[in-house]
Amino acid sequence: MSRNPRNNETHSGPQEAVRAEDVLFSYTHQDSEEIQALAGVSITIEKGSYVVLIGRNGSGKSTLAKLINVLEIPDAGTITVLGLDTASEEHFWSIRSRCGMVFQNPDNQIVGTSVEEDVAFGPENLGIPTPEIRRRVDDALDYVGLKEYADRMPSNLSGGQKQKLAIAGVLAMAPEVLILDEATAMLDPVSRNEFLELVGRLRKEKGITVIHITHDMSEAYRADRVFVLEKGRIVLEGTPGNVFFESKRLKELGLDLPVFAGIISELCAQTGSERKKEYFVSRDASLKAARDILAKIKSSQAKSAESEYVCADTEDKAKEQAVLVVKDLFYSYEERGDRALDNISFHVNKGEIFSVIGHSGSGKTTLISHLNGLIRPQSGEIRLLDPENGAEWNTRKNADVKQIRKRVGLLFQYPEYQLFEETVRRDILYGPLKMGMDRKAAEESMLDAVTLLGLDPSLLDRSPFELSGGQKRRVAFAGIIAMNPDILVLDEPAAGLDPAGRREIFRYILELKKRGKTILLVSHDMDEAARVSDRILVLSKGRALFDLTPEELFSDRSRLRKIGLDLPESVLFLSDLSPDFKSLNRCVFGPDQVAGELIRAARAEGRNTREPDHVRRKNPSGRSSVSGGQS
Amino acid sequence: MIKDLSIGRYYRGDSVLHSLDPRVKVILFVVYMVSVFLLTKPIGLLFSFAVATTLALLSKIPFREIIKSVRPIVFLMIFIFVINLFTIQEGEELFRFWVIVITSGGILRACLMSFRLFLLIVSTGILLTLTTTPLKMSDALESLFGPLKKIRVPVHEMAMMMSIALRFIPTLVEETDKIMKAQASRGAEYDTGNIIVRAKGYVSVLVPLFVSSFKRAEELAVAMDARCYRGGEGRTKLHPLKMRISDYVWFFVLLILAFIPVLAEWIFR
Repeated sequence: MSRNPRNNETHSGPQEAVRAEDVLFSYTHQDSEEIQALAGVSITIEKGSYVVLIGRNGSGKSTLAKLINVLEIPDAGTITVLGLDTASEEHFWSIRSRCGMVFQNPDNQIVGTSVEEDVAFGPENLGIPTPEIRRRVDDALDYVGLKEYADRMPSNLSGGQKQKLAIAGVLAMAPEVLILDEATAMLDPVSRNEFLELVGRLRKEKGITVIHITHDMSEAYRADRVFVLEKGRIVLEGTPGNVFFESKRLKELGLDLPVFAGIISELCAQTGSERKKEYFVSRDASLKAARDILAKIKSSQAKSAESEYVCADTEDKAKEQAVLVVKDLFYSYEERGDRALDNISFHVNKGEIFSVIGHSGSGKTTLISHLNGLIRPQSGEIRLLDPENGAEWNTRKNADVKQIRKRVGLLFQYPEYQLFEETVRRDILYGPLKMGMDRKAAEESMLDAVTLLGLDPSLLDRSPFELSGGQKRRVAFAGIIAMNPDILVLDEPAAGLDPAGRREIFRYILELKKRGKTILLVSHDMDEAARVSDRILVLSKGRALFDLTPEELFSDRSRLRKIGLDLPESVLFLSDLSPDFKSLNRCVFGPDQVAGELIRAARAEGRNTREPDHVRRKNPSGRSSVSGGQS
Repeated sequence: MIKDLSIGRYYRGDSVLHSLDPRVKVILFVVYMVSVFLLTKPIGLLFSFAVATTLALLSKIPFREIIKSVRPIVFLMIFIFVINLFTIQEGEELFRFWVIVITSGGILRACLMSFRLFLLIVSTGILLTLTTTPLKMSDALESLFGPLKKIRVPVHEMAMMMSIALRFIPTLVEETDKIMKAQASRGAEYDTGNIIVRAKGYVSVLVPLFVSSFKRAEELAVAMDARCYRGGEGRTKLHPLKMRISDYVWFFVLLILAFIPVLAEWIFR
């Protein structure tokens, strides 16, 4: 499936945009320990192609990008970009001006004080005459759809708009190669899609070579070629289909398959069918393969007797006890005037995982800032209940706030920034001590949190600033857990982590639930929320639209699409097949569970019996394999 | 609180003052500052008030917005008022209690001094901060101080630093707010407790703020490199500064306007 949009070759010369040969590169870390970032990378990227570089954090993919753009020079080996050797000084600016780069953090790459000034920054540096800059800026802003924002301050743009601005800035330099260095990592799904559509359009219409670095596997579908990096080496390469086919290898590398590919892979494994590369080429191919495999099961099962599937009924609503009640909450920011929160009411029950889902800007952060009294309600109220002894606290009362902060642990997005102490130990202890725990209890609580999060105790006496990104995240998380709150409010706790890191975080969350903690999880990722949540609250433009169990919420796709959200991938997969299988339960998450459910439904269908009603009931054990069941 | 600061408080508009060459405005800013400081009498300040009003009308900025830019210095105005009230001992004695003596001359001076400060902020605010984008301002400074390049003063670099600083103020304000909230969730106190507790509370905000600022600076430097930044040499501009005839005319007009109050004081002396 190699598409070839090289319609008009403007530059004669080599057909390769990038060629790297046996590239070695290492850099020195703080305490002069040498880190080998690239250990012999050879790669050829054709002009006009779309290439995805994928790998865990620290696999060397960003370093490779920097070498391509001459931000670094290889220790050994050569890199030629558009036929020019990066090691030779005379090519330096020529390469940089022809390779544009968009980085991860939108805020840290905007130089201009206004949108158009920022777009002009590159061309200005190239010494292009003013009228030509004007034309390029206008064209670039028009192309990315930010024309009406030309005079705005960049800080007023949303994350997605900022990344588009970064693209416009690159575009104005008329590049031939576009490097995206985890440029989508900080975006929500909607802006991420828009961003990637824009990139796709750039390649198609302008023939720009795209080198896209990511750790999100589903983005790799867009590529002509995928390169998987691990420890500074390319360990896997090929078309997306070929790479996804190697699902076992990917798992070993700590990477995830896209959901559709994961399901078909599981389905093959569980039915013993032969895995074929074509199953992995696209989402549709996976779906079609599933249909074929299931049809076979259906026909072979026609006569055989199968033990009837019994649906467990674990709905014991009687035990529900509200511990957090939000009632008629309104809030508007002075400067903006519109309502950030508009009449929000809900309650969270003891011991459940309650998810709040919505786009950036839907009011999620404002809402959670209310929950421990950081923001006091302008109208309405938030009450914290202790069902055991009937105590009650209200965030409106100053005297209660301290108690509330002790009981409600709040972890904001990208919590690494809250680390400040000299050692990890002191940082984790900060919260518990501030909350009035005595030294001994605090120490115990800290060690407990550290063990739970699998942090190496030898890190305790290191400075938190020396740790890797994933470790910092866990230290920050530990700092909240050590305060031993009853309710944990977690704002996108896995944001920006690679797939293995994300999995870890969710494992901890489920472990915390097992220990009887109540968890309020904020997310914009449907799949993630669906897998672990007992109930989901959907926020849109400051309004609480639905407050339902995942099963109820996912029974209707259109209402989610109306507000720009969609069903989880696994539910989409099942929905596509559900017309063929009457008894199919669509609310099953995680590839292994989905595959199992499909096989079950196909067999049931094959027996061709009139299904008794109860089989169609929901299947709580079909939740994620790691959910640990209802408490 | 930080948001009220008048740095970068640009008010969008399309008046004469908005389109005036920023270099002219920077020079006029200095001239107005000097002229207001020369004033000592009610009559001069009255004229100066008229001039400020004229500037406000020229700028087409609503009065409400202009008053807003004074808000951060209200405390300073009160301070100056009180100091003058208690220290100036001229004219009739009106009130005496223990060491406090209030005189009619004192009241007059206190009013004049704080009013002078008010005029200073308003007229310079209209001239500079409200009608000039921060970027134009740093362009103007770069251009005006350009000759200093000859004696190796890094004028371009300083202007670039200034404009980057301005660009990052809103980002850092937002970040400070975020960190304060996160630390408050961990029990940090900024508003309660004694001074040591509070100071410690601020450490928990300042350290992360510094760390993240350094990280930002590093990433920004790489991003600027990637976009071929190599200093001021050979750089062109999207909005190059260019004096038009109208700029010269307005420069002249506003220059005269600046000295009318001083002249008035001299005439009505």
